Amino acid sequence: MPSQQHAGLNTAAAQDLMRGHRFRWYEVLPWVIAIAVFFAFPGYRLLATQILVMIMFALSLDLIVGYAGIVSLGHTAFFGTGAYTAALLANNGWGEPLSALLAAAVMAAILGVISGWIILRTHGLTLLMLTMAFSIMLYELAKDLDVIKIGGEEVTFTGGFDGINFSNDAILGLFEFDAVWYGVNYWYALVILFAGFLVIRTIVHAPFGRALIGIRENVDRMHAVGSPVFRRKLVVYVISAAIAGVAGAIFVQVQGNITIGVYEFELAGNVLIMIILGGTGRLYGAFIGATVFTILENFTEHVLGTDPPYWELTVGLTLVLTVLFAPRGLLGIFESVFASRSGRTAGRTA
Amino acid sequence: MSQPALETRDLHKAFGALVVANDIDFALQPGARHAIIGPNGAGKTTFVNLITGVLKPDSGHVLLGGKDITALAQAERVKRGIARTFQINTLFGGLTVLENLYLAVSEHMGVAGLMFRPAGARPDVVAEAVRLMEMLKLGDDARTTIAELPYGRQRLVEIAIALALEPKVLLLDEPAAGVPSAESHILLDAVAGLPPEVAVLIIEHDMDVVFRFAHSITVLVSGAVLITGTPDEIADNAEVRAVYLGEQARG
Repeated sequence: MPSQQHAGLNTAAAQDLMRGHRFRWYEVLPWVIAIAVFFAFPGYRLLATQILVMIMFALSLDLIVGYAGIVSLGHTAFFGTGAYTAALLANNGWGEPLSALLAAAVMAAILGVISGWIILRTHGLTLLMLTMAFSIMLYELAKDLDVIKIGGEEVTFTGGFDGINFSNDAILGLFEFDAVWYGVNYWYALVILFAGFLVIRTIVHAPFGRALIGIRENVDRMHAVGSPVFRRKLVVYVISAAIAGVAGAIFVQVQGNITIGVYEFELAGNVLIMIILGGTGRLYGAFIGATVFTILENFTEHVLGTDPPYWELTVGLTLVLTVLFAPRGLLGIFESVFASRSGRTAGRTA
Repeated sequence: MSQPALETRDLHKAFGALVVANDIDFALQPGARHAIIGPNGAGKTTFVNLITGVLKPDSGHVLLGGKDITALAQAERVKRGIARTFQINTLFGGLTVLENLYLAVSEHMGVAGLMFRPAGARPDVVAEAVRLMEMLKLGDDARTTIAELPYGRQRLVEIAIALALEPKVLLLDEPAAGVPSAESHILLDAVAGLPPEVAVLIIEHDMDVVFRFAHSITVLVSGAVLITGTPDEIADNAEVRAVYLGEQARG
């Protein structure tokens, strides 16, 4: 190393790298909006809480899809496992919610190690199919385990399609979950989302996160610069699984019930649509995608009725329009407008 | 003779009936400036892929500094000191020139696994990427993405990435192909500036570059070594003229 103290760092390009992790003013917006929504729309807190959970789920998926380029159609494997971990703990006497989140993260992470060890050796369509197969297997398993026999006696376990209802202790022994007004539930989801977001944001701006982008951009080149590609992919897959597990756990904790819907293939597809809609590989795309998707879903139901065809048509059309006219997602549109206004060249392409 | 920096023994590889490496015995001494030439389809790039671990040989061995590395994965060979450039640019298309170099440097300096500290916490890594960029005269394009960069300039990024890995053995697969002749000296200067003990192997079609650069030459034909010698010996060899130079003169 030259003893000269780091020459050349004052150039714009070097500053991009040196300061990439610093917070920008607009990054406060999602959180301000989230807080404002709580007070402005008290009647929509259930929906808003679901959006927060979906944002967290979408963020976990963006970490592997948008950064490392691992496209998964089975991320519900981890969401569902986290959800069942929290639900089954609560239903069997462990109602402390925060430790249940930790347990959900650990269980999802263990599953991530096992499935990732197999799946991440493949690429493209094979990988996509394996992620799907894995989540469908878990769906069937949860369905089969609706009732289990203990000492000749049949006991409800997952409850299958009917699901189970359970209740949690107060958070930190102070804040009871509020099934009617969703006050505590909303803040709980928001605080955990914020914590999860900080972890993900730190990772993507660290050298590790940049190496993931390298893997997405050109895996051959990463091998040729000596990067342990499989290990990097496995590590990020496990982190993503753990965060998805926490999202699943919050999802069922705030509702106080669970059904095998948490493993459903449709949900895995939806969350992938959310990040494509919002824009992959840019974190805030998950916020926009999950919000727009969930509101659209709700709105369509109110206006056009609950017939699936209407909703599916709306999703289909939105997705086609996004892919055709905004390949970088809705956030990409904002970025382009912002870039042309401020006269700067756009940042990294996805 | 000292321990060769790189050695292959009876290296054999076939795709079906097509033999692309026919029991190649080859040695590269520390500090060598060696060229491999041969007609199209002679197996030059295959040979590089066998050395770097992109391809697994059917039989035979690859040794780096006397140690058998035949079983090692590509990335592990890089860690032990083999770096390469690709015949066809293999870069991070959506990233800027500096970001491309940063990725190589951060892997080489062992910081690419860091998860909870920002890239900016290691200015030494960024500074090293900047230094390599300046060395290849790429400073003006620091914030240009590879996709927007002219092909010849991309070749320079290829070289810069390989140099970032501070290799003991550097394999250059047609580095000058597509580089405007006005810029090819940047490339050769950068290679000439390497520490003298680094062994450099170049695959090249441009005979000007070969004869300017190489102190010794191996001619590869149909996956087998035809002859190894000094540039003069190769230029005067009748057999080489027949299969290679003659062919070029005709074609």
